[in-house]
Amino acid sequence: MLEVADRSASSDTEHSDSPISSAPPKRATGSSLNAVNNWVPHDLVMRDSWFPLAHDHAVGKTPVRRAVYSQPYYLWREDGKVVASEFHPLEIVTRDKSPYTDARGRYPVMEHYGLIWGWFGRPGAADPAHLPSLPFLPPKGGLPKHMTATIRFDCSAPISLENLIDLTHADFLHADVVGDEKSDSEQVEVFYDSETITMVRSLVNKSVAPIMKLFSGISQPTQNVRQVIRIYLRSHCAIAYGRFSPGDDVPLFHPCTPESRDRTRMEMVMNTSNAGLMFRHVMPKAGYKVSRQDSSMTNPQSPRYMDLTPRKDLHSRFDQAGQRYRLLMMDLAARQEAGDFEYRDNVSADCSDIIGLRKELFQY
Amino acid sequence: MASPWWKVALSEEVTSAKPLAVDLGDQPVVLWRDAQGIARALEDRCPHRRAPLSRGCIRDNGWIQCGYHGWSYDGESGRLKDIPNMKDEQKFPPLYKAAAFAVSESGGFVSINLDQNTTMPTPAVAQDFDLCDTAHVALGQDQWINALFDDPGLVLNIRSVQFTPYLMSDLREENGMLVMERFCQWGKVHWPSYATAEFPITLITRTHPETGETEAVLRDDSFRTLLTAQLAPVAGARGITQVRWRAKVGDVLKGSHATGLRHKGSFTVRETIDAAALRVLIPSASHLANKLRQDIIAAAPAATPSVSAAA
Repeated sequence: MLEVADRSASSDTEHSDSPISSAPPKRATGSSLNAVNNWVPHDLVMRDSWFPLAHDHAVGKTPVRRAVYSQPYYLWREDGKVVASEFHPLEIVTRDKSPYTDARGRYPVMEHYGLIWGWFGRPGAADPAHLPSLPFLPPKGGLPKHMTATIRFDCSAPISLENLIDLTHADFLHADVVGDEKSDSEQVEVFYDSETITMVRSLVNKSVAPIMKLFSGISQPTQNVRQVIRIYLRSHCAIAYGRFSPGDDVPLFHPCTPESRDRTRMEMVMNTSNAGLMFRHVMPKAGYKVSRQDSSMTNPQSPRYMDLTPRKDLHSRFDQAGQRYRLLMMDLAARQEAGDFEYRDNVSADCSDIIGLRKELFQY
Repeated sequence: MASPWWKVALSEEVTSAKPLAVDLGDQPVVLWRDAQGIARALEDRCPHRRAPLSRGCIRDNGWIQCGYHGWSYDGESGRLKDIPNMKDEQKFPPLYKAAAFAVSESGGFVSINLDQNTTMPTPAVAQDFDLCDTAHVALGQDQWINALFDDPGLVLNIRSVQFTPYLMSDLREENGMLVMERFCQWGKVHWPSYATAEFPITLITRTHPETGETEAVLRDDSFRTLLTAQLAPVAGARGITQVRWRAKVGDVLKGSHATGLRHKGSFTVRETIDAAALRVLIPSASHLANKLRQDIIAAAPAATPSVSAAA
């Protein structure tokens, strides 16, 4: 069930007056609203989940290498059907099989939305019903390659996703791509359940994104913007959907696959099919620039979140979504640590209404 | 904790022609080969007037002779054997000896143990790799290893290989060693690593938790071994690190970059560190290494094998 966040997730957060406390920090047992301000995202491992590992066009007969939490995934096709194995076909196997694969060392794997998804967790629990809903992507794939890319972030996956759901950073870090922070009004709403979090940010008369000025031919100085970030917590997958008026609808699939604990892989798909010719080709390339801008901040952030520290993070009301994201991730991790891997909410149910997708533009 | 074995010299460096001065932290050590060709190690300090024994010479019978007053010592026991001016009286009390260290030689490395009666198993290196050298680096041993973990390109140079910041697997414990696998690229002309989907090669490192000895294996995406190197970083005097290394190019090399590894100088340990790059290197694998290292040592204090034996 989707709830509306009606209060700050961090209302009872305390901060020490002294910047460095000598008292050793205690690791939170279960998540509290207070604990989110010194969380340790590097310790979070999500099991029983589909992770997007590759674009379908990247996998052929020759094995390609992927990893989830350092666990090797070798992908190739046999008779056109994709295979995911923890052993390379040419490997002289000297290591034991992990509990994440069947007797042959193969992971559950499926192909959907133009992506190869590998299951990380108990193989018997793999179910297509746990695949995130991405209603703006054709289920059988087929979008042109120029709308896809592989981009890496130099930080842990939860830090990368927290960066994404905190959209106010974009006005500063990505101002040259998406525009500055000036607008007449700004509203942020947060919705969540046990498996997802959705943030909707509505801005009136925001400075026009420079990339739209240049490549969509928008001449007005301002535009109304509705931005949605929806994160599927277990899969570390996000939807970033911007509706710009005047302007285009730009839905982006933004997965953050935790290849290793301090590095993140994104098999990006931006469906710009409905945009003008120039914008359609240029906008997906913006990821190369934006991702570097993000990594310039999240890379040095990342090691500072590897240990529990006595100093807690500060926050403003614009961090509401990020605080809630931390809390939900910690709740889910605590549940998994206690042996509960069940999905309490359905992640594959069509989320078009939740993200406000203009369905007439994306009919599959 | 038992005293570990340290690879303090390459076999080629230790001869019966001239003593070799090395150090293990602040401990000066003299190495040479005796008349039987066995490598010997004593404290590089004559107990008579504290002169470095390494400034002396090796006698035909294999004893080392101090260059100051000619006192001669047996390498195995460190016992004083001869004082030139006392021709008639050559029996000396047991106290008359230089500190001797246990010595072991394997795979082209000479190792010493500061505890002469150590029960630690001697290092066993399976192969004698043909490429070798010693690099002296103006960086502490722990920081050298941290740099190896976070950006090997700062401390190693492998012809045509670019190390990326992306890992196939995080630093983890495997058979008592710290093991990780890093994605690498060939050559300089390619997409930036952050925008690259597939990497053709990886570097696997297996590092001893206590000594930092590391086996580095460069492997292609078909599991062919392209190059194997044994690295032995040892803390030296004044905070510098002496890295002795041996390397071997793989038997089956495919592609121009891989075959280029056969060129002379295709593998080296950098003598100089780009300090500006090192200063801003964001800690990643090294951050977690300390705890992992302590956990491994605590779990098996006497059983941590030599890097070469584990490999």
